[in-house]
Amino acid sequence: MQFKHKKLNNGLNIIGEVNKDAQSAAVGFFVRTGARDETDQISGVSHYLEHMLFKGTEKLSALDVNLCFDNLGAQYNAFTSEENTVFYAVTLPGQLAEVTNLWCDLLRPSLRDDDFNMEKNVILEEIAMYKDLPQFDVMDRCRALHFDKHPCGKSVLGSEESIKALTSGQMREYFARRYAPNNITAVIAGNFDFEKICGCIEVGCGKWQPKQADRITEYFAGTSKKDSLKRNSLNRQHICLASPTVSYQDKRCYTAMLLAKIIGDDSGSRFFWELVDTAIAETAAMQCEAMDKIGAYYSYIQTSSENGEKVMEIVERIFKSLQKDKISDSELQTAKNKVLSAITIKNEVPMGRLVELGFNWVYLGKYQPIEDEIRRIKDVTIADLYALLEEFPLVPYTQFSLCPK
Amino acid sequence: MMEKIDIHKLSNGMTILGVPMAQVQSVAFDFLLPAGAAVVPDGCCGAPAIIEDWIFRGAGGKTSRELTGLLDGLGLHRNSSIESKHITLSAATEAENLDKAIELYADVILKPSLDSEQFEFSKQLAISELAGLDDDPRHKTSILLREHFYPDPLGRSPEGNKEELEKLSAEKCKQIIADNFNVAQTIFAVAGKYDFQKLCRQLEKLFGSEKSKAEKAITPKKQTLGYHHHAHDGSQVHIGIMTPTVPAQSSDYYNARIAVAVLSGGMSSRLFTEVREKRGLCYAVGAKYSSLKEMAGISCYSGTTPDKAQETYDVIIAEMKKLGKDISEDEMKRAKIGLESGLIMQSESTMARAMAAATDFYMLGKVRSLDEIKQQIEKTSVKSVLEFLNKNPFEKFCTTTIGPTKIKPV
Repeated sequence: MQFKHKKLNNGLNIIGEVNKDAQSAAVGFFVRTGARDETDQISGVSHYLEHMLFKGTEKLSALDVNLCFDNLGAQYNAFTSEENTVFYAVTLPGQLAEVTNLWCDLLRPSLRDDDFNMEKNVILEEIAMYKDLPQFDVMDRCRALHFDKHPCGKSVLGSEESIKALTSGQMREYFARRYAPNNITAVIAGNFDFEKICGCIEVGCGKWQPKQADRITEYFAGTSKKDSLKRNSLNRQHICLASPTVSYQDKRCYTAMLLAKIIGDDSGSRFFWELVDTAIAETAAMQCEAMDKIGAYYSYIQTSSENGEKVMEIVERIFKSLQKDKISDSELQTAKNKVLSAITIKNEVPMGRLVELGFNWVYLGKYQPIEDEIRRIKDVTIADLYALLEEFPLVPYTQFSLCPK
Repeated sequence: MMEKIDIHKLSNGMTILGVPMAQVQSVAFDFLLPAGAAVVPDGCCGAPAIIEDWIFRGAGGKTSRELTGLLDGLGLHRNSSIESKHITLSAATEAENLDKAIELYADVILKPSLDSEQFEFSKQLAISELAGLDDDPRHKTSILLREHFYPDPLGRSPEGNKEELEKLSAEKCKQIIADNFNVAQTIFAVAGKYDFQKLCRQLEKLFGSEKSKAEKAITPKKQTLGYHHHAHDGSQVHIGIMTPTVPAQSSDYYNARIAVAVLSGGMSSRLFTEVREKRGLCYAVGAKYSSLKEMAGISCYSGTTPDKAQETYDVIIAEMKKLGKDISEDEMKRAKIGLESGLIMQSESTMARAMAAATDFYMLGKVRSLDEIKQQIEKTSVKSVLEFLNKNPFEKFCTTTIGPTKIKPV
């Protein structure tokens, strides 16, 4: 693996990790913008704009865009989160330059009104779709409750009302502010020629003008509020919990990730033995979401409405018992082994590597070789876990439940 | 360069397949045990869902905690799934852990403890998971669609049904395991970094002495299709549509795959363009080819709000019906490129390669090399695909909807 980096004069970073043995190559444009960079008036604009990039440029219609990608045999898509909008494509090595040129064009979209109006229907359907997925809906609601007025509580999709009210003018204004070259990182992984792809990006994006594209990154520990909602359509109770932890930039984020695995992995964890093995809940998982200068643990549990209270008693006991029912060496070692083999498997595919490379650069501003990541995971000790728990206890937490009527 | 596929039969007939991948450090493997949803006796629907959990609750003299500790300690990424004919046990990990992992899986398959106290937990979990399906209407649509499309018992739900799950006993499930965990009919596939000879010696030692059992014959009932609606007070109407087509062994298999790619390959394909891009009817729309050994279908899914459900359904049906009338050379070219490059990209994943080898062997009695698949895709033409579609037109549909309103089917 060979790492390469180039920064264009306008601030756009290009990074790449070359693996000549790979059969494919992946390219991604990571725009450092998402729901937390929105105001209430334009809630959902980042995600809506992500859709609009596929609608074409002055020269390309929406159908032309799809035809261009499909003619290259590319697997392509995009995703939006609270703090990133990522556009990517995977192709055979011979097609990478062309697919990169296409993305460079698309990142300066025409945002036509008729496309904007048609796509509004699709976004509203996507909002309706997630309403029928309580496992996602409960996470969204818990996040909003946990972060309250802090920008990290904003919904990625926005609401039906905010999307209906959004204008193409507001979207253009947001685009002009956020899609500045100094707020974008181009990432390439797999089998490719760095100089050649760099050349494509330089020609395609080199003339874009830099702009101020800051982000407010105030720390907020969360509200620890409790709330619930009853719904006719539900058959099970869906519970989401949130509590604060370290950020992506914090050196202890691997410690937090391992702690979440020890407590809430889908096999052999504390949640597993107390809740799933005993058939009290069919799902119980915990994950660490390390973000820009802020972080949160999220737990998700699906159970019957009869077992809801019992589940919360057990979860509370697990959270509190970590002090007396100490984490063992073998629990930590198992968590490490799981994370390490996941890293090996993920990084064998260029698309898996692309995401890791991209986020490391966006958050840390540096390249982290796989070996460094492995070493950092191996170095975590039991004492590190307890020091983290001391600073970020799991109780109190924010709780949102979706329940059957 | 010709791709190498390793094949070996153990002395009792169990099939061992291997796909070596020079550049990886990981290894993935699958056991296809002939104990799927369709092969269990009538009245036992859902037994495989209990069994796939129960067999991991202690084996080879190890308690449930000891066994889970050892499996997790190897960093294994485990998965179990239930198909029509098989319970599939899958795992992936770093290559040096392979022999230890195989040893533990041999215990799970051949020497599960099958403790009756643990059975109650497995049964309760299966019942809870079935109940949870109501809160995932999209997934439930695909399960019900298969159930309605394939004649019983082929399309039986892997999750089972409540009445039959509740009646199942530990004794009954033990009997199903004894009758169906037939090692001679089991397919084992591995992909990634491994030593095939060493692996075969280990598998012979662990599984080779297991006697072969009689193969189960299944007589499916008559296929009925039709329209089935399931009321659900949600936001969207979830629409599943399935039409019969040729199975994987057919000489027309690649023509069918191209037809599906024209319909729903990339975002320029017909369904995405007509349903989502031009009309804004939905977020999710797509079609896929799905085959059992006996029969196959092309299934479509879309989810949309109630006032748009009828139009969404009508547009999908119209696109399926008119596919056989005309396909352009450009569409053909895109379908081929999409399938071929997808094939190569998928080939970089050890988990995908192992599963593809096992499925190929079960369906075709051999493992196709990437070159062979590529050549077969290349052989198709607009003419061959249109001829296939005219011989096998999309005109009979099985439709399932879940949501607040019904649609009027064709």
